[in-house]
Amino acid sequence: MRVRVPLLAIGAAAWLALVLAPVGPAHGSMHSMRWTPVSLVTEAALMFMAMMVPLSGAPVRHVRDRSFACRRWRAVALFAASYALPWIATTVVLLIAAAWIVAADSPVVLALAVVVVAVCQSSPQKQHCLNRCHAHPALAAFGVKADLDVLRFGLSHASWCIGSCFALMLLPMLFTRGHLAVMAGVTLWLAGERIEKPMLPRWRWRGPGKIVRVARGQVRVWAKRFEKTRSCASRPHCMQGPDIL
Amino acid sequence: MTYTRTNVYENGGDFSNPTILWYARGVAAMQARALADPTSWRFYAAIHGIDRRLWTHYGYLSPSDQMPAQDQIDLFWNQCQHGTWYFLPWHRGYLLALEATIREVVTGLGGPSNWALPYWNYFAPDEFKLPPAFASPDWPDGKGNNPLFIKQRWGPKNNGDVYVPLDQVNLDALNEPEFTGVASGGSPGFGGVDTGFEHNGSPHGLLENQPHDMVHVFVGGRNPANRVLPGLMSYPPTAGLDPIFYLHHANIDRLWEVWVREPTSLGNPTEAQWVNGPASIGGHPFVMPNPPKGTPWYYTPGDVADLANLDYVYDNMSPAGVTAAVAERLERLHLAAGAAMEGAARMATTRHNVELVGAHDQELRIAGSAEVRATVRLDAPAHRRMTANLAAAAPEMAPAAAPDRVFLNLEKVRSLSDATVLQVYVNVPDGANPADYPERWAGNVGLFGASQATAADGEHGGAGLTFVLEITHVVNTLHLQNELDALEVRIVPFDEVPEEAEVRVGRVSVFRQGR
Repeated sequence: MRVRVPLLAIGAAAWLALVLAPVGPAHGSMHSMRWTPVSLVTEAALMFMAMMVPLSGAPVRHVRDRSFACRRWRAVALFAASYALPWIATTVVLLIAAAWIVAADSPVVLALAVVVVAVCQSSPQKQHCLNRCHAHPALAAFGVKADLDVLRFGLSHASWCIGSCFALMLLPMLFTRGHLAVMAGVTLWLAGERIEKPMLPRWRWRGPGKIVRVARGQVRVWAKRFEKTRSCASRPHCMQGPDIL
Repeated sequence: MTYTRTNVYENGGDFSNPTILWYARGVAAMQARALADPTSWRFYAAIHGIDRRLWTHYGYLSPSDQMPAQDQIDLFWNQCQHGTWYFLPWHRGYLLALEATIREVVTGLGGPSNWALPYWNYFAPDEFKLPPAFASPDWPDGKGNNPLFIKQRWGPKNNGDVYVPLDQVNLDALNEPEFTGVASGGSPGFGGVDTGFEHNGSPHGLLENQPHDMVHVFVGGRNPANRVLPGLMSYPPTAGLDPIFYLHHANIDRLWEVWVREPTSLGNPTEAQWVNGPASIGGHPFVMPNPPKGTPWYYTPGDVADLANLDYVYDNMSPAGVTAAVAERLERLHLAAGAAMEGAARMATTRHNVELVGAHDQELRIAGSAEVRATVRLDAPAHRRMTANLAAAAPEMAPAAAPDRVFLNLEKVRSLSDATVLQVYVNVPDGANPADYPERWAGNVGLFGASQATAADGEHGGAGLTFVLEITHVVNTLHLQNELDALEVRIVPFDEVPEEAEVRVGRVSVFRQGR
């Protein structure tokens, strides 16, 4: 909770900024606006915060929990910096690539981009990257070594994270209209992939499996609870039993 | 009908005990069935886990075996829950299904219709040795084909002498008030850590670590001919092949119920995520093949948590050797005895307040029989908070406060061999033999599951396992003797660790948990 809530708040703020921005993707101007270095980096940073920050609970919690209380903020800040910078740089490259693909206005180029996304999504390399996202290394606790370990962890986590997500990140950028809706869908998709258990890398199609299963499981729980409440309406002690599916 | 699970050592643990004889006949019948049959012995073992390479190497899988359909494999196999807070309920359902399958065979052969799985209580006097019925290749129904006898069961010294060394195991887990623990360095709880939506390799719960993991590794041992290879019981993907597995787990299941009845126990979790099981949060449902045809039986922790709702009981609910450690500790720190229970409740409600106190930053490599030492440097402010808290528990302070609990973490333990037990001591004087200082013994860790956690594409992404040992008793002593300045940790292999096992400890750290 101490980690999840601030991360979700950062994500929500970024979404709000994307929606309320006077120009940009929410207004269909993503590919027609004139990019300046500042606007490009701002856009990339907002995309990173909206899509990736809410997914980084586990590594941030690892850094926080395994650091001395007096160093927690510093450790988390170092991790955030070393995790964010490679991601923002990658997103800038992806935005430029997407702008070029859209500007080409060629069905062949677009189809090629979609094929690249699909191949990356199905590759064993993607699974390996996803698996490695679950690895949280031992961190030194004292002095410069502690700072360096956290920086190293941020960089390595970013590299596995980029390896597993970059292709899907490209997808919403190819949409001149409905960009934010696609981006929201991709964020949920990535969340589903991230909370899935590691598995053996091999060629296979990867969907947002777990997020769908979570939703289905929760619907079943609530349906059961509703059914129980209804059937218990006339029996005062009925609800005290175990809450079983 | 209510079935009664009895002690395997009734009648001396040999075949004069009809429960064992019928178990053996049931196992033999299941072993004779094809792998693809959901009620076969090997299918059941694969529900816990399967490593095709090792199964083939040990002769439990051959190219002529027809594999089950892929949907059957996906539904049933490789389900075992280790390092999650579902460890106990999943295994309870596993035992229920296997027991029903064997009972079906037993009644079909004209045996008792009230047959129930026996349990192996290695803590009971003179019952620490493998029950004799499991140790001989001969049995009343044949020579050299006893279905309970397993060749790949090498024992704690890897020489075929199978027993549980009682000085290496304990029932301290029963003193933990809370079922659910934390993954942040404090108590992992009696039953494990809330694994949530995303499983990143939580530490094993207290009962899972001790005695569960320890007994697995001591019974299985390692292959004397190839010392990296484990005995069947030492490795999760082969453990279910050994008939003693189910008797060991029946005892673990019994100890769960013993804990529920402990006065200091705060009971099983009531959170919807635990009660409704992993399927409610996108995980694999608990599902077992039910006899006679192996139709799927889906269950949740809530379905099996309360023994009163199930159809079996244990003939004996005495844990053997439990002490009221919480009360004992508070009294040792001069806290009013009447506050002991209140203290237990307070300890339970402060579970989220966990803080790193000290660490040894270098990775440790363990090989051979030599002990490895690590000096845990304490962070001054955290150290002050811990000692101030311990001092506040002294009699002159009012109101009485629950002292901190202190935990030693062996973080990111990686190994290519699960059949390894490490003994951990704190602040044993230089030149002294740690074995002469039992009061400085932090505990043992058995590396059951470590090789899978070490694999880069395994469930833990290659990060290894983290083990948590409570060292409050050592810290109490050091505090009262004004010696709590640094912690010198010694890790002593129980048995020689082969170089090829590549056992490494990422970091040794100390956490306080309290106010």
